[in-house]
Amino acid sequence: MMKVMSGNEAVALAVKLARVGVVGIYPITPQTTIIEELAEMRARGELSADIVRVESEHSAMAVTLGAAVSGVRSFTATSSQGLLYMHEMVWWTSGSRAPLVMVVATRAVGAPWNIWNENTDFMSERDSGWIMAFASTPQEALDLTLQAFRISEDPRVFLPVMVGMDGFILSHTKTNVFIPSQEDVDNFIPPRRQPYVIDPETKESMGNIFPPIYYMKLRQSIHEAITNSEEVIKEVGREYNKISPLGDYGTLNVSYKLDDADYAVVTMGAWSLDAMEAVDKLRENGLNVGLYRVRYIRPWSEKEIRENLGDKRAILVVDRATSLGRGGPLYLELKSTLNIPIKGVVTGLGGVSVGKRDFYSLISRFVEEARYSEVGGVEWYYPGEVKEVELGTPRTAH
Amino acid sequence: MTMRMMGMALGNNVALIVVAGCSSVIQGMGPKNSYGYPALNIAFAAGPAAASGMWRAFKQRNKDVTVVVWAGDGGTADIGFASLSGAAERNENFIYVCVDNEAYMNSGGQRSGSTPHGAVTPTTPEGKKENKKELLFLMLDHHVPYAATASVGYPHDLMDKLRRAKTIEGFRYLQVLTPDPYGWLFDPSRTAEVGKLAVQTCYWPLLEVVNGRVQVSNESLHCLRKETRRPLRDFLSVQGRYKRLNDQDYKELESYVDYTWDRILKLMRT
Repeated sequence: MMKVMSGNEAVALAVKLARVGVVGIYPITPQTTIIEELAEMRARGELSADIVRVESEHSAMAVTLGAAVSGVRSFTATSSQGLLYMHEMVWWTSGSRAPLVMVVATRAVGAPWNIWNENTDFMSERDSGWIMAFASTPQEALDLTLQAFRISEDPRVFLPVMVGMDGFILSHTKTNVFIPSQEDVDNFIPPRRQPYVIDPETKESMGNIFPPIYYMKLRQSIHEAITNSEEVIKEVGREYNKISPLGDYGTLNVSYKLDDADYAVVTMGAWSLDAMEAVDKLRENGLNVGLYRVRYIRPWSEKEIRENLGDKRAILVVDRATSLGRGGPLYLELKSTLNIPIKGVVTGLGGVSVGKRDFYSLISRFVEEARYSEVGGVEWYYPGEVKEVELGTPRTAH
Repeated sequence: MTMRMMGMALGNNVALIVVAGCSSVIQGMGPKNSYGYPALNIAFAAGPAAASGMWRAFKQRNKDVTVVVWAGDGGTADIGFASLSGAAERNENFIYVCVDNEAYMNSGGQRSGSTPHGAVTPTTPEGKKENKKELLFLMLDHHVPYAATASVGYPHDLMDKLRRAKTIEGFRYLQVLTPDPYGWLFDPSRTAEVGKLAVQTCYWPLLEVVNGRVQVSNESLHCLRKETRRPLRDFLSVQGRYKRLNDQDYKELESYVDYTWDRILKLMRT
């Protein structure tokens, strides 16, 4: 069935289709309409999940974890400050090897206050031991959320999964979305599996102190589970393609016109579609460029990335996130994967609007540079009129 | 001690949530523990929220399990208070046990919101200037169906209260005074005695509040009248943490006890 819906509505529907048992909810823009939609579904009697309206995001993750380790499929969603506020529990959840799913509608991080889109909140959790996927359309938000439950509960993984999507740009923009049937989803997601269940009958405990050597082994087991999840994700993706006619989930990441390209641009999320249009236009004008869209930050598929980008003359990585003092996180990841010239661009922070014209000019300028010189480093790109950024705060700069 | 009494009072169908504290350590190394209950060990501020998820999970699985959060006074009065308050306001269905030894004993006895006026701790070497936070009264203001206090000095009273709490549905709060020989500075063999002195001198009231109805426990009935209270000095003088106490501090603590009982009497009248 096709329906016009926003990214947030698509996620709420995925949660319902996955037959989640407990949802911990706390409002924060731009994620809020996910939980409002879930509460309305519950009020209409369409959702069997128990909804816990907690007093903070720290508690939202704790509720979701408490339900997960006690044997029930659970879900939560957040953004920005909320994700940072629950940071401690994000780590506790992966350390507990608790399968569960969280959606992050991305938003800039304060100070100063900013409610608009940026991916730094999501990217800042990349060391936390979660599987992390990032959507580029409301369709993908629905698809990745459904797949997340199955990946998370696969015995080869047994880790929480975080699905990100651009705040407002995806969370609040409506497009046509294909919805798989309840029956197909029921067949796609098997009954819940998890490594252990808190239960008076088995008396198993978790989270106790362990001797250092076991602690380190546990950490390594999470590391291995993340790297090994690559095969699981592809397998789950191929299964999902069977129930969704538009599905393209046989690979972790997505290539666009890369095969014969000399140069490539690498992006993540919604603006990849703008970048694709820019690539089309540049090709019409004779520039041999392609695009690579990162869909999974964790696992980071070195294999796919080397296969798709390893033979390029140079690549341009555009981040909507920062690792302050070091550029963009995607840029850093690619630098550590490929041994070819890589230039980074940080742009679009805090809702700065970047469109296909900007991609066109960024890519064409990059190819021009790369033809005649060794490219590298990180550029902070402002569309339009900004020519100079003052050091110090705008208030004290003269 | 309190843990052993809980085992006797609550039976087998129990799942524990243990927040950061001594009890995270004394249960022994994973993956099993020495409590005889399944336990989810969790970060300091997360206990009440995790319990909110856990009891609902058992409900969804049609299992009759009593969920118990086990936390210290630091986890209750300070870092975990928002989570506790949220769960109490939502009337979540579990028992919350605050093991109150009046300081952050697991990290060496630093002052908490539940440390009394005048007590010397590593972070209040000159004696704490403020009064103990009124956790029981705060819980009552959340309209919880059950709230009570107990002392390890009176194990039967403690177990009675746990048994009663088990029969009630909704949020149940039990605060147990557990004198700590290393933080309060007395000989470990006198733990139960100090727990009794706290009650006899009316410093620690034993109460039970069921659906808003206040019942003073037998051991504390003499405290209702000021004349029949045992002098507070008998409780303070056996502990090294009050060694810096001057006359004014002593008066402050006495008026704290008076204030507490005035408030209890007022609650009994309403």
